Amino acid sequence: MRKIHFKIKRFDGNKEWYQDYQLAYEKGKTILWALTSIREQFDPTLVFTSACRHAICGSCGVKVNGSSYLACKTSLDEVLDTFKTDYLTFEPMGSFEVIKDLAVAWEPKMEKMEKVKPWLIPSVEGDVEGGFIQSEEDFHHIASPTDCILCGICASECNQLAVNDGTYLDPFILNRAYRFAVDSRDGSPEEHIRPVIENELWKCMHCMQCATSCPKGIPLTEQVAFLRQESIRMGEVNNQGAKHAFAFVNDVRTKGRLNETMLPIKTDGLFKTATTKVPFALRMIKKGKINPFHMPKAVEGIKGVQEIYKYAEEVENR
Amino acid sequence: MLKYDVVIVGAGGAGMMSALYASKDPNLSVAVLSKIFPTRSHTGAAQGGINAAMGYRDATDSIEKHFRDTVKGSDFLADQDAVEFFTTHMPELISELDYMGVPFSRDENGRVAQRPFGGASSPRTCYSADKTGHVILHALYEQCLKNKVNFHNDWYLLSLSVDKGKFQGLVAMDIRTGEIHAIQAKSVVIATGGFGRVYWSRTTNAINMTGDGTAACFDVGIPIKDPEFVQFHPTGLASTGVLLSEACRGEGGYLINKDGERFMARYAPEKMELGPRDLVSRSIETEIKEGRGFGDGMGSYVLMDLRHLGKEKIMERLPQVRELAMDFEGVDLITDPVPIRPSCHYMMGGIHVSDYKTCATPIEGIHAAGECCAVSIHGANRLGGNSVADVVLFGKYAGLGARDTAKKRSFTDAKKLQQDAENWVKKFKKMREKKTGINMFEIRDKMAETMWYNVGIFRTEKEMQKACDTIEVLLEQFKEAYIGDSSEKYNMAFINYVEIGNLLKLAKAVAMGAINRKESRGSHSRGDYPTRDDEKFLKHTLIHNEGKKYRLEYSPVTITKYQPEERKY
Amino acid sequence: MRYAFFPGCTLESAEEELMISTLKVAEALGIELIELKGWTCCGASHIQDVDDFLATSINARNIALGEELGVSKIITVCNTCTLMLRTAKDKLDRNDNLKTRVNESLRGTGMQYKGNTEVTHLLWMLIEEYGLENLRKKVVRPLTGLKVANFYGCHILMPPKIMGFENHRNPQSMEMVAEVLGAESVEFDQRLACCGFHSVFPAEKEVMGLTGMNTLSSKTSGADCLVTPCPLCQMQLDAYQPDAQKGFKEDITMPILHLPQLIGLALGLSPEELAIQRHVVDAIPMLRRSLQLV
Repeated sequence: MRKIHFKIKRFDGNKEWYQDYQLAYEKGKTILWALTSIREQFDPTLVFTSACRHAICGSCGVKVNGSSYLACKTSLDEVLDTFKTDYLTFEPMGSFEVIKDLAVAWEPKMEKMEKVKPWLIPSVEGDVEGGFIQSEEDFHHIASPTDCILCGICASECNQLAVNDGTYLDPFILNRAYRFAVDSRDGSPEEHIRPVIENELWKCMHCMQCATSCPKGIPLTEQVAFLRQESIRMGEVNNQGAKHAFAFVNDVRTKGRLNETMLPIKTDGLFKTATTKVPFALRMIKKGKINPFHMPKAVEGIKGVQEIYKYAEEVENR
Repeated sequence: MLKYDVVIVGAGGAGMMSALYASKDPNLSVAVLSKIFPTRSHTGAAQGGINAAMGYRDATDSIEKHFRDTVKGSDFLADQDAVEFFTTHMPELISELDYMGVPFSRDENGRVAQRPFGGASSPRTCYSADKTGHVILHALYEQCLKNKVNFHNDWYLLSLSVDKGKFQGLVAMDIRTGEIHAIQAKSVVIATGGFGRVYWSRTTNAINMTGDGTAACFDVGIPIKDPEFVQFHPTGLASTGVLLSEACRGEGGYLINKDGERFMARYAPEKMELGPRDLVSRSIETEIKEGRGFGDGMGSYVLMDLRHLGKEKIMERLPQVRELAMDFEGVDLITDPVPIRPSCHYMMGGIHVSDYKTCATPIEGIHAAGECCAVSIHGANRLGGNSVADVVLFGKYAGLGARDTAKKRSFTDAKKLQQDAENWVKKFKKMREKKTGINMFEIRDKMAETMWYNVGIFRTEKEMQKACDTIEVLLEQFKEAYIGDSSEKYNMAFINYVEIGNLLKLAKAVAMGAINRKESRGSHSRGDYPTRDDEKFLKHTLIHNEGKKYRLEYSPVTITKYQPEERKY
Repeated sequence: MRYAFFPGCTLESAEEELMISTLKVAEALGIELIELKGWTCCGASHIQDVDDFLATSINARNIALGEELGVSKIITVCNTCTLMLRTAKDKLDRNDNLKTRVNESLRGTGMQYKGNTEVTHLLWMLIEEYGLENLRKKVVRPLTGLKVANFYGCHILMPPKIMGFENHRNPQSMEMVAEVLGAESVEFDQRLACCGFHSVFPAEKEVMGLTGMNTLSSKTSGADCLVTPCPLCQMQLDAYQPDAQKGFKEDITMPILHLPQLIGLALGLSPEELAIQRHVVDAIPMLRRSLQLV
């Protein structure tokens, strides 16, 4: 009989260990079924959280062989097939404080989320007696971000959070900020966006893990792009992130291609570049990676490229 | 000892709404206890919508029509004064939710969109795609963050303390530390949700819907009202019981038997699939019983077909439903019909609320709101779209009620409370040290099995007697149960043990109410008494917990406008 | 075999060794790469942060350059270029309204985006079209004994609805190629990690930590070198390695090769022909040792 072998990371508040369990393989079961079966058949001391069993309560995020999944929604067959193995390791989600075994604490995350004022700041267009008028199109802007079930899988997979000191906002928090910033009923979008800017918005690494892992399919990386665009619109351009992005925008406009030699100076300024990036640059030059005298010529057809910019500015962003 | 003016137990729609309203008075200290993180609460599972006679979609709709539909849907067992209060205040509540930021779907005029729902004579169900409960739950949580509501997450209600009729406070465990706290309070709102888990695996309910607050009230002498009325949702997924929203039928889904017939024509020729839940559930089970279903035994089912709605409409109106069918039944609604069967969905009965305006119970200081209690606005059968409505509306009035009670009352002495807490400490210690006994999960599963087979959709005296006997045996066995976890911190096995004890207590009340109600009404359908008997049973069941024995009495139904008539759809 | 070739800025300005090795390998395999005339920067996952319409439009132009050539596919050797071009393509192919507007913006280029040319990565093309068995036949110097740590980089895997070549949670394409070349793939924790390159300016401290973790993890797993299909990962892991080392007590030194360099070695090309001497962390002593090269 085919057996599935589980190695589950345990934590009792003091010590950590991995514990092995086995279940007979059954077709068409979920990860949550495996956890529940282990707990009820073999080990009632095993702690994990789950509630609704159908991917709406957000309780049951867990790491399986290093990747985060919603246990109720993920079939065991899918992970067995993905990892081509009958040996699975379950661990608590990353970037969370672990309470016991697979259960994690949400209170620190909520404290952080409060920074973005995750509630509607009603505009003067509405009132408590009559509510709001909101167009179908405006509703569509908030339809997807309000799918968020706070399962934390995006945070667990976020590469910036994994190395950050805790200031950077979790993707689900950025989503909340976005959700209110684009709500036509909100009177102060900037109050949601300002804290995002103040909390390392530009540190997102663009790794795409959050959008890829979200069990609700929320396009989190597009929201990061939106929040950055808004920050620029709000005049927040004097930072490395925005300057770096503008270096690309401007190089493509003038030449079509990036001038790697000038990139650090455009991002960090001459002074900082001279003090921090010089060893790096010398290394690159010495090995022949960068030719400091290489100044890219404008690409063939640069006029056409500039026409694109003109259209984008004059028609799209009017 | 902890001390709060108002304590709210449960952080779903009712609990958070109560918290928001109770804490509007800055002079009161308010705390919310929840055994799970607030946004995990089962309010979030409500898909289809929330009823309010806004009249946006259908200008001829009215509060009166909502009132009449609800009373008719309840098979005339609802208290009409309460229903009228409820339907009157719902429209303003929708606007309030809108103002809080609930992302409602919109109509072409930008007003909150409304859809038709089973048992409603006008399309009045406001919604947000098919995640209405979810967005309301999250908006309420956001408001709680904004208003700095004091949450105690992972705190579990063990019992209420009442001495000589006076409410003193409650005993709760901080699950993370294992500490048991006596909490003094002037008033409490119980908002702990339903107890559909008496049917353990054949329910749409979340794993933690174990009626903790209902059982706690029952233990201190508040009767349980109408527990025999259990709503079975017609469209649970065949293999898991997971709910597919009523919106499927609302949007025009067909129910098909193995002969390819839209069999609802036999049972509700006019309304067809839009008949009320109890009727549709029974119709499906009748089809299965009479051999027109697919599969056999516990695996029997009929099909729900949405293909004729087309891809666009399914994607726009029912995206989450489609995802559910795909993830949990492996069926794409766009290309295939989905196997469905009724699943226990909702408890109309619960804590006896004696004053609908304040959600007070017979014990001063104890209030209740939501599925844990019976106001009663749902009577013998709740209409789809009336549960989230119930939760937010009565959550609000329970919060206000508890606030007013707290202002009137002072803290009592706390001797009984202290003693209760000490008893729990002893019990926790004893259960952690116990090394052998009967497996509690087996007791739970036996309870569910006897409830499903004998106090399920069709009921008869003989079968229900079997259930009553089995539950007595299980209650005895429960004394010998052991939990298999000796840890102090985060001992979920102990929590499960208390939950199973609560379920057993409540299952017994369900069976007792059912066996004594010798008629068929709403969700309570008896093979041996197939018709409604208003003469004998147009009244509420009230079951009192008097230790090992329960005492049953009946109380009158409030009828203001609508005299009972035959329910036809 | 004939493909349009989109090199991307890095190959021109900071990682010319990848240009050199890619062209050498293509030649050895009999693959004709026609460089797109007048290609521009793909936006490098930055331009959409200023203007997402612009990001889509410039890549519509890049793809249109390939369409003009009448080839079926545009080949890239950079993960981020692949993702940027495919993202634009995905948006344009799914949204007619956007396509119309974008084509309006392309007027001045004299081209239109049609949507009849695919965008693929060299790694995918080798597996899907060239065929690993054909590649195996070209191997003249099997990399026997060479232990490689395959570092995929995020943008060749995610988001899967745009990339989708293989299961992003457990890809195998790099291992398949390594096997054909005779090298041994080692397992290491950071195989699917992010290199952090795209936020190296605003998140320098974090990214240096990540860089060290990545190379150290491959080192502890016994790898001789780390191989990546992306020049940005390569630059981050190689050129910043001395900076990353400052945050670590352990020696994190690990030579970082481009995928075409690894292939080229098996095809019998010398490290110099593949411009391996240009790396900051000198890979040549390691290659001499492992492959007994003179």
